[in-house]
Amino acid sequence: MTKLLLGRYVPGNSVLHRMDARAKLALSFAFIAIIFLANNWATYLILSAFTLGCVFLSRVSVRFFIAGVRPLIWLILLTVTLQIFFARGGTVYWHWGIFSLTAGGIINGIFVFCRFMLIICMSTLLTLTTPPLAIADAMESLMAPLKLLKVPVAEIALMLSIALRFVPTLMDETQKIMNAQRARGVSFSTGKIRNRIKAIIPLLVPLFVSSFERAEDLATAMEARGYRDGAHRTKYRVQQWHLVDTIAVVVFVFLTGALVWLRA
Amino acid sequence: MPVIDVRDVTVQYRDEDRPALQHVSLQVTRGEWIALIGHNGSGKSTLARALDGLVPLTAGAIHVAGIPVDEEHIWDVRRRVGMVFQNPDNQFVGADVAGDVAFSLENQEVPREEMHQRVAAALKAVGMAGYANHAPSRLSGGQKQRVAIAGVLALRPEIVIFDEATSMLDPAGRDDVVTLMRTLHEQGLTIITITHDIDEAGLADRVIMLDNGRVVTAAPPATVFAQEDTLVARGLDVPYSARLKQALAARGVRVPKEYLTNEGMVNWLSQLKSTI
Amino acid sequence: MAAPALQDVSLRIEDGSYTAIIGHTGSGKSTLLQHFNGLLKPTSGQLTVNGVTITPATKNKELSDLRHQVGFVFQFPEAQLFEETVLKDIAFAPRNFGKSAAEAEQIARKVAAMVGLSETTLTQSPFDLSGGQMRRAAIAGILAMEPHTLILDEPTAGLDPQGRRSMMNLFARLHREYLLTIILVTHQMDDVADYADHVVVMEHGQVLQTGTPRQVFADAKWLREHHLRLPQTAAMAEQLAARGFSFDPLPLTEHELADQLVPQLQGGGRHD
Repeated sequence: MTKLLLGRYVPGNSVLHRMDARAKLALSFAFIAIIFLANNWATYLILSAFTLGCVFLSRVSVRFFIAGVRPLIWLILLTVTLQIFFARGGTVYWHWGIFSLTAGGIINGIFVFCRFMLIICMSTLLTLTTPPLAIADAMESLMAPLKLLKVPVAEIALMLSIALRFVPTLMDETQKIMNAQRARGVSFSTGKIRNRIKAIIPLLVPLFVSSFERAEDLATAMEARGYRDGAHRTKYRVQQWHLVDTIAVVVFVFLTGALVWLRA
Repeated sequence: MPVIDVRDVTVQYRDEDRPALQHVSLQVTRGEWIALIGHNGSGKSTLARALDGLVPLTAGAIHVAGIPVDEEHIWDVRRRVGMVFQNPDNQFVGADVAGDVAFSLENQEVPREEMHQRVAAALKAVGMAGYANHAPSRLSGGQKQRVAIAGVLALRPEIVIFDEATSMLDPAGRDDVVTLMRTLHEQGLTIITITHDIDEAGLADRVIMLDNGRVVTAAPPATVFAQEDTLVARGLDVPYSARLKQALAARGVRVPKEYLTNEGMVNWLSQLKSTI
Repeated sequence: MAAPALQDVSLRIEDGSYTAIIGHTGSGKSTLLQHFNGLLKPTSGQLTVNGVTITPATKNKELSDLRHQVGFVFQFPEAQLFEETVLKDIAFAPRNFGKSAAEAEQIARKVAAMVGLSETTLTQSPFDLSGGQMRRAAIAGILAMEPHTLILDEPTAGLDPQGRRSMMNLFARLHREYLLTIILVTHQMDDVADYADHVVVMEHGQVLQTGTPRQVFADAKWLREHHLRLPQTAAMAEQLAARGFSFDPLPLTEHELADQLVPQLQGGGRHD
C-alpha cells in the first residue's frame, strides 16, 4: 500500500512539473476521454507511446514509476479477467455456463487492460508532478463557470485543499492509534477475518473522535483568522500559463487528430 | 483608553450547568503583557475567545481598541486581534508555510503584491524565511507555532493572544515561542498569554488568576507569586524560588516576605552566606 | 538510505527500577520504547525483556505475548478510548488476551480503583469524562493487562499543574505499592530528579550516558553541550556554587538544597 504512487506528489523541476496545473488537469481529463476513441492496435500504440513520453518528461525513474503503479495491478487483472470471460465474439476456445473464452473476448480484455493502465499512468503522472494545492486551485478555475449555477466553487476548492493538507496528519494519527491498540492486544494483520474486521472499530472510533476535534479547532482558528466565506477573498497563489502549456495543448490536439484518423 | 475593556461579562454555554465566566471585568493598557492563569476549566480560554468574538456573551460588553465586540464589528475586531492556539497541527490551514501565513491576508482581501511582501516579512520576523514552501508535515511543533505567529503578524494586529500556545511543545520549541513573545512585547504589541507554565507567567506585566469563571487576583507577578498558598489552593504551580523559600523557612531561616526571582534568591542567599 | 533510528544501543533496565529516558525530540526515544513491548523488532542485535529474547527473526506472533507484560502508555493515551463505557474500555485489553468477560470486568474494577476512578464513572461514556479522568481511564486500560513494566511516554503532556502532580504521584504509587518497573520518557527534568532512580540520555539514536540522576545532573557543562536542561534545584545549586556555596552531593530537590544551605548561612540564617 505504501508504495502506491497515485495521489502522491514528488517535487521536481521537469517540464511536467513546471506546467500550469490547469493545463495538466484539463488535459488529463481530455486524455481519459480520448482513450475511448482508441479501438485498434495502432491507436493503443500511439497512446502508449504518448504516455511513455510523458513519463520520460516527468524525469521520474521508470522503475520507481512501475513499482508505484504495481499495487493496482490486481484490481486491473480482476476487471480484465471478467472482461475476458464475459465478452464474446470470434472463435470460441472454451465454454462453461455463462462463461466463455473467445478470441474477441481476449482482444477486448487486452484493450481494457491497456485502457486501465493508460488512465492510471496519466493520473499518477498528474499527481506526481503537481502539488495537491495546485490541483485544488486548478479545479477551482476549471469549475469557475459553475459559479453561475450558484455552486460554491471557492468553498469546495478550500475544502479540498484542507482535506489534502490533513491527509498526512490523519495518516500519522492512524498509525498512533493502531500502535496504541496493538499495545492493548489488537491484531490488525493476523487472525480470522472476523476478528480483523472487529479490530477496525477500536481504530475508527478514536479516529473519528479526533478528526471531529481537529475540525472544531480548525474551524475556530479559521474564524479567528477572519475567514467568512469563499467569495470575499484574494488569492495568494495564481497559476501562470506558459508557452509550454500552449505547446502541450497543440501536441494534444495532434494526438486526438491522429487517433481519429487511425481508429478503425 | 484601555486597548481591551471587559465589563461585567458572563458567558453561559448551553450544555453546562454553571457559567464559564461570571461577571468578569478587566482593563488592559496598550502594550501591556497579561498572563491568564488558572486550572483547566477555570474560564481562561473562554475569556480569551470572548475577546476575539469567538464565543457569544450572555451578559456584559467587551471593547477592543474602542470597537465593540459584537456581530456588526466582529471582522474589524478580528483584524486587530491575532490568536495562536494550543495544537500546532489544528490551526495550520494552508498546504504549505507561505500559504498558511497568507490565509488571513486572503480573508482581508489584501492585494496580491502586498500579500507577497507581508508574508515574506512575517516569515522573516519569526525566523522561518527559508521554509516558505515546506509542507506542515515536515515541520516540528515549535516551527508550526512560529508559522501560526507569522500568520498573526502578517495581519499587523494590535493584540496577540496565545492560548496555551506553548503547552504541546518540547523545551526548544517552547523557548522559541517565548522569545517571540518577548520580541513582540518589546515592539509595543499587547500580549495575552494563557499558560500553566509559572515561569512563562512570570514574564508578564500583570498576572490574572481565574477560578470558577471569576477573576480572583489581578496583580504583578511578584505580588501573585508571594501568595504561595493561594496558588496551590487554586491548583497552580508555585515558582521554584518560592518553593525553596518555603523549604528554608521550614528549617528556621528568616525569609523575606516578598517574592524573589531566582536571581533575587541567589543574591539574597549570597548576602547571608557565612564567611567562615 | 536514511540513517538508522537507533544505532549500537546497549542498555539494561533493572527489574523494579524507575528509569527516565531523556533526549531531544527525534533522539530515538520513541523508537527504543517501541522495541520494549514488541511493537518494533531490531534490524540487528537482540533484546531480552523479562526472559523473552527478541531478535530480527522473532515471529510477530511471539511478540504479542510481550505486549501484555510491558504496558505502553502512549502520549495523549486518551486517544485510544473507544468503548461505550469506561468499564468496557478498561476491560478491552484483558479480553484481547483471552480473559473471560467476568474476569476482565473484575480486573477492570480493580485497576480503575488503583488509578482513582470512582464507581460511578465506570458506567459513563469515556467521552463524557474530563481530560484528566480520560487519561486515568486510558492508563487503567493498560494496567488491566497486569503488566510488570509500564512505559510512560510524556504522560503529563497537556495536563494542568494539579493534574500533572496527581498523575506523577499515581505513577510513584504504582512503582512503590505494586512494584511496577517504570520507564518514563519526559522533557521535565524536575520529574526525573524527583522520581527516577536511573537515567538514560539519548541523542541521534544512540545512548550517550546512563547513571543515577545525581550522576547525570552533576555535570552541568556536559548537559549544556548537549542542549539538555538541569532540574531547577540543580540549576539553583550551580548558581549558588558560583557565589561560593558548596554542595556535596548534588541536591536534587529544594529540601535537599535547603538542608545543605542552612549550615552555610550566618547563624543558620536565624538572626536578623
